[in-house]
Amino acid sequence: MKVTIKSWNGVATWRWLANDDTCGICRLAFDGCCPDCRIPGDECPLVWGQCSHCFHIHCIMKWLNSQQVSQQCPMCRQEWKFRE
Amino acid sequence: MSLKPKRVDFQETWLELKETVNAVITLGNVPRSTWNDRFTDVYSLCVAYPEPLADKLYLETRKFLDFHVKALLEKVKSSGDNNLLRTYYYAWTEYSQGINYLHRLYSYLNQQHIKKQKLSEAEIIYGNITPGDDEQMEIGELGLEIWKVDMIEPLESKLVKLLLEGIHQDRIGESQSSSSEIIKGVIHSFVGVQEYRKKDKLQLYKQIFEAPFLETTGEYYRREASKYLQECNVSQYMEKVTLRLNEESLRCHHFLHCSSYNAVRAKCEEEMVAGHLQFLHSECEAMVTEERKNDLKNMYPLLHAVHGGLSFLVNHVMLHIRQQGLNAVTDHYGENMHIQFVESMLSVHKKYKQLIQDVFQSDQAFMSALDKACSYVINHRPNSKMPCRSPELLAKYCDSLLKKSSKGLSESEIDDKLSNSITIFKYIDDKDVFQKFYSRMLARRLIHQQSQSMDAEEAMINRLKQACGYEFTNKLHRMFTDISVSNDLNNKFSTFLKHDNIDLGINFSIYVLQAGAWPLGQANITSFTLPQELVKSVQMFENFYHNHFSGRKLTWLHHLCQGELKLCYLKKPYIVTMQVFQMAILLLFETTNSLVCSELQSTLQLNSDQFNKYITSLVDCKLLLSSSESITADTTLTLNMEYSNKRTRLRITTAMQKESPQELEQTVTAVDEDRKLYLQAAIVRIMKSRKILRHNALIQEVLSQSKAFAPAISMIKKCIEALIDKQYIERTPNSSDEYSYVA
Repeated sequence: MKVTIKSWNGVATWRWLANDDTCGICRLAFDGCCPDCRIPGDECPLVWGQCSHCFHIHCIMKWLNSQQVSQQCPMCRQEWKFRE
Repeated sequence: MSLKPKRVDFQETWLELKETVNAVITLGNVPRSTWNDRFTDVYSLCVAYPEPLADKLYLETRKFLDFHVKALLEKVKSSGDNNLLRTYYYAWTEYSQGINYLHRLYSYLNQQHIKKQKLSEAEIIYGNITPGDDEQMEIGELGLEIWKVDMIEPLESKLVKLLLEGIHQDRIGESQSSSSEIIKGVIHSFVGVQEYRKKDKLQLYKQIFEAPFLETTGEYYRREASKYLQECNVSQYMEKVTLRLNEESLRCHHFLHCSSYNAVRAKCEEEMVAGHLQFLHSECEAMVTEERKNDLKNMYPLLHAVHGGLSFLVNHVMLHIRQQGLNAVTDHYGENMHIQFVESMLSVHKKYKQLIQDVFQSDQAFMSALDKACSYVINHRPNSKMPCRSPELLAKYCDSLLKKSSKGLSESEIDDKLSNSITIFKYIDDKDVFQKFYSRMLARRLIHQQSQSMDAEEAMINRLKQACGYEFTNKLHRMFTDISVSNDLNNKFSTFLKHDNIDLGINFSIYVLQAGAWPLGQANITSFTLPQELVKSVQMFENFYHNHFSGRKLTWLHHLCQGELKLCYLKKPYIVTMQVFQMAILLLFETTNSLVCSELQSTLQLNSDQFNKYITSLVDCKLLLSSSESITADTTLTLNMEYSNKRTRLRITTAMQKESPQELEQTVTAVDEDRKLYLQAAIVRIMKSRKILRHNALIQEVLSQSKAFAPAISMIKKCIEALIDKQYIERTPNSSDEYSYVA
């Protein structure tokens, strides 16, 4: 071998892989954070339902907690289940 | 002895009483028993039967005092003009003390008879009632009033004239020390004689003495000033005036009542300073430009005391600092321009701050002049078409301090320099431009692991936060956390590998960064075929990452990746740190010693811009030899088998790690875009709360909200137009310069 690699350091960026640009509840960008947070990123993550809609976790939790009867997706009214 | 009212013979008692009164008022010897008896006599008279004799006693006492003072007056008059002050003074000392005693002898009369019919204090001070002429006074007050009428009033003009003469003697230094006590005593007698009053205590003093005194003082110093003007230049004049002012205020403290101190000083200043402001101002400019500290030190208190006197000097100081600042910061070129710029500006700031402390007692007006001058210099644009370079230079300065290479400076020195740079930062108008540059440089330092110390980085970010608020450093903080989150991620990844018994064949680490927080443009992303050796680690990591975080998309920024390569084909092995693109190029020489450029490029799939850049960098550092001067598709590249270097560990830098002119331009346009968004957001916020606003009012509010930069009015106007187009706001139909919010 003429040349061997001892080590390397990769650099990558990540962004949310959402089907929309903005959260359906707070209408703020997924790249940003929900209205209650100050810093986007791991502190204010997104969650997906089995219906494939996604929201800021803080937004959907607020929504679900306000529903007394049944837990529905605010977009399609299907029963809300978190997608693993 | 009984306290019961009884019949008293007034004449008899009064004769006895009068004798004692006479002794008391002349400070003669009064035995205690006599004093006690007379005290009782006063009581008996006041409560006498069948009718009290208090009024009669009062009248007789007044007659007696009147007579006594008139006799004293004759005595004082007869002593002649030369001794007038002295005899008056002695008479006063005796009388004022005597009357004080007499007041006590008549305690019963004062307490029981007179106080009851007097107006209360509140009535005198707050009501408009003045005590009538026939109202009885307590004996002490009566005595002083009689002194005023019978003694001071007849002698008034003579006394005052003599006093003024005496003080004049003192001014020209020809007084005897004995007479100064007398002058002081006489002046204070004017105060003492009305001290009992509830209102206008100083009326007599002010009227008969202070007013003429101020007048003569003014006249005297007017003459002195015009004499000095003829024989002195400004700095001598100031010295003399300062000296005279100090003398005069000492004199004041010695002779006068404390209420006059300020009035006298103001009068002197009026005559010697305010009257000659033009004369004093004429030298200001020269004094400031030559920085004659002593003169300025004298000038400051003089001008400070005069209304409107200081602003002229302040203005000159500001112009001077401004000029000195401009001299210091222009004419820097080349590599170290940023260091020269920041450090010479800091030294100017430090120098004049010190000067203002020493000479102008840190006066607020001068401090703000310093601020104005510094901010002018720092935001000065030599060419109005070019953006101001200060934000960039300052960011570079910080970069050079925080980078690993800063030479020979101790940690505390670096720390000091960084905190000083905040001084400059505060003056910068375009703080957002600074932020853009700073975050780019911070990104470069973090990704290429060039930071001297993480503590220093964090401390600096905290300083910026303190100076400019949380919003300003938000992104910088996020960049910081990304690096530490990535460290955790690397650890998790290696445990994952160990757990699944996977060997990548090479050491691998990674930074995973939030796309929004980092100033990493998409412009440099290029197609690229990853070398076979690296593919496995990339795949494994992507698997790992998607298992851990669902819903996230990774984008590899290969142009920022770097690695360590061991070169085994040379006489001795070298370990070289380089970019991944360069690694990929070298790896292709495994099977052959020479390759043609076009071949290389088609294997790597790099765009030609990037390709040329990295080839050139390898040729420049002599690892590759090129067949032609410039790199074209036909150029043949050969491994340099003769390569040698003293060091066995080295790093190949590329143009990538330096700021290119395009990047500079990008930064400027990026800042412009950000500003537009910021302004639009501000306008919408304002309009949402106000609903309807006039054009000028809106502009004012926007200006007051933007702290990080000073927006141009034209830019605000454009933003308003843009918002009208987007139908966030509209013009109101009945007025041309009014907008309303569209909900």
